[in-house]
Amino acid sequence: MELITSFPLAEIFILFISAFLMPFFKKDKHIKIISISFLLIAFILSVFTLMFVFQNGPFYYAAGHIDTILGIQLYIGPVEALLSFVFLFVFILVVWFSFSTIDAEIQENRIKLFYIMVNLLAASILGIIFTNDIFNGYVFIEVAALTSCGIVVVKETQENIKAALKYLIMSTIGSGLILMGIAFIYAFTGHLNIELIHQVVLEDHETFQKSLLITVALFTAGLGVKSAMFPLHTWLPDAHSSAPTASSALLSAIVLKAFAFFLIKILYRMIGFDLVNQFSILTIILILGCCGMIFGSLSAIFQKNIKRLIAYSSIAQMGYVFFGIGLGSPFGAAIAVYHMVGHAVTKSALFMCSGLMIEETGHKTIDRYKGLGHEMPITFALFTLGAFSMIGIPILPGFISKWYLSLECIHLDKLLLIFVVLSSSLLNAVYYFPILINGFFGIENLQDKEYRSKKVPVKKTIPIAILILAMILIGALSKNILDFISPEFGL
Amino acid sequence: MDDLILKKVVKFITPCIQLFGIYIIMYGHISPGGGFAGGTIIASSLVLQHITFGKNDMHFIFRKEMALKLISFSLILYSLIKGYSFFGGQFHLPHPPVGVPGNLLSGGFILPLNILIGLTVSSTFYIIFTLFSNE
Repeated sequence: MELITSFPLAEIFILFISAFLMPFFKKDKHIKIISISFLLIAFILSVFTLMFVFQNGPFYYAAGHIDTILGIQLYIGPVEALLSFVFLFVFILVVWFSFSTIDAEIQENRIKLFYIMVNLLAASILGIIFTNDIFNGYVFIEVAALTSCGIVVVKETQENIKAALKYLIMSTIGSGLILMGIAFIYAFTGHLNIELIHQVVLEDHETFQKSLLITVALFTAGLGVKSAMFPLHTWLPDAHSSAPTASSALLSAIVLKAFAFFLIKILYRMIGFDLVNQFSILTIILILGCCGMIFGSLSAIFQKNIKRLIAYSSIAQMGYVFFGIGLGSPFGAAIAVYHMVGHAVTKSALFMCSGLMIEETGHKTIDRYKGLGHEMPITFALFTLGAFSMIGIPILPGFISKWYLSLECIHLDKLLLIFVVLSSSLLNAVYYFPILINGFFGIENLQDKEYRSKKVPVKKTIPIAILILAMILIGALSKNILDFISPEFGL
Repeated sequence: MDDLILKKVVKFITPCIQLFGIYIIMYGHISPGGGFAGGTIIASSLVLQHITFGKNDMHFIFRKEMALKLISFSLILYSLIKGYSFFGGQFHLPHPPVGVPGNLLSGGFILPLNILIGLTVSSTFYIIFTLFSNE
């Protein structure tokens, strides 16, 4: 029992160590093996953690000999266990995919740096998910911010450096806001542990109502920058579209979600549902989420570059997460988490498909992809399935989160919001369907296209196929997943 | 820089700076100071040498690749020692002892951890310097 409870810390620990093992090896092959093998070990540990939480319920873990008040504590509930499991799963598949594509995308002497960054990123993301101590969370957020800039800038072109600088500056401002929020909350509660802060806040929140509001606003803005909340998203399209394919898959699928999950922790575990509903901040998150859903999709319609299109689609999808958070009900937060899980798997698969398309055709613009469904059928079919989930075709996770969000809107008597969900869904269809239809049908597009002429080797498509399979499973098992994570939010 | 006085003075002053840095690292756990402060002082001596004697001389003493390996080695060792404390609480391993004022070899893991931080910080600062010095 004791052994399994220390697995979450061990996951973070071995991933950090693995990153610093890499400089001792010269050959890229060895580095790749180290990277994926340590990720695999961490994944296996996360499977055990998930099973343990499934059987025994949530648990706390105190790191070190010191007790809770001074020491660092980890909290592993159903959501944490599930998210760490899914994120490590995506990490492994993206790293596997990167083996065959990264050589062509970045310079040879940067490959080692890339994998160091990936493993550090994985460790820091797990830290953000597990930690029950906000300052500890801040440290991991900083590591994640630096490493995610690192995996953008690793491809040394002019636009990459520009995008990474933009990302670095904006996410540093975000970190500063978070740190200020932590300083505020430490000043008037005297604790950094989320549970202890929650107790103090419950007892005498009347005395520092205004400061609490400022704190929550600081956290929302700071984490909003990092997870691409609507008006603060401007770094995202540049960074995600210029980065190497594997990096954009990781950034879009995982990094954004971890920060959004930290916001859920702050709002609902540190402040609590009852109290946070008294603030107007949730309404603002809800409105910004709606704006993100609509404007993210609207901007995506006008994009020519496929990676930029998918990046704008990420903003729209993060809008759904903020929409779920902003509803202010436990079930809304649970759907937000479910959407994170579904979107993590789907968006990484979409980015990897687009990477393969760019590699095979040599073009980044979508008007060159006409008839591509004939030339590379497997990749395009996988892309289609991913796009279907984004649009919201039943059984796929995109549909399920939209469905439950609409139900929750009815439940909360906010009927107008259903139209936002519906119109965003239709807008998703507006920019994904033309790619699919032009890719598969249209007789004039298919002239002088040879069937399977740009066939991708099977080993490149296996990771994507596994992700798409996992996506369908997540959709099919949606009820079990929601039942598993709902108790966390007091349902 | 080709200047005799500068070279003579730097030759004389570098060991003093390094000794002072080592002192601050070693006494970090029982007096003010520690790995980070001492590490920056040692790094300043390395930078001084690099500026005075040029890249080639420094290349002979302390190469960038070596510095990177040194950093990685110290970080791994650091995390392994620190990992004992992190996991030790759960498995009821013995608690590392606390320091005694005036006694250098006390304080459990703090001395080795400080030394490792010193190595990491000095190498990192030197590497950052070499990134910006374009010779």
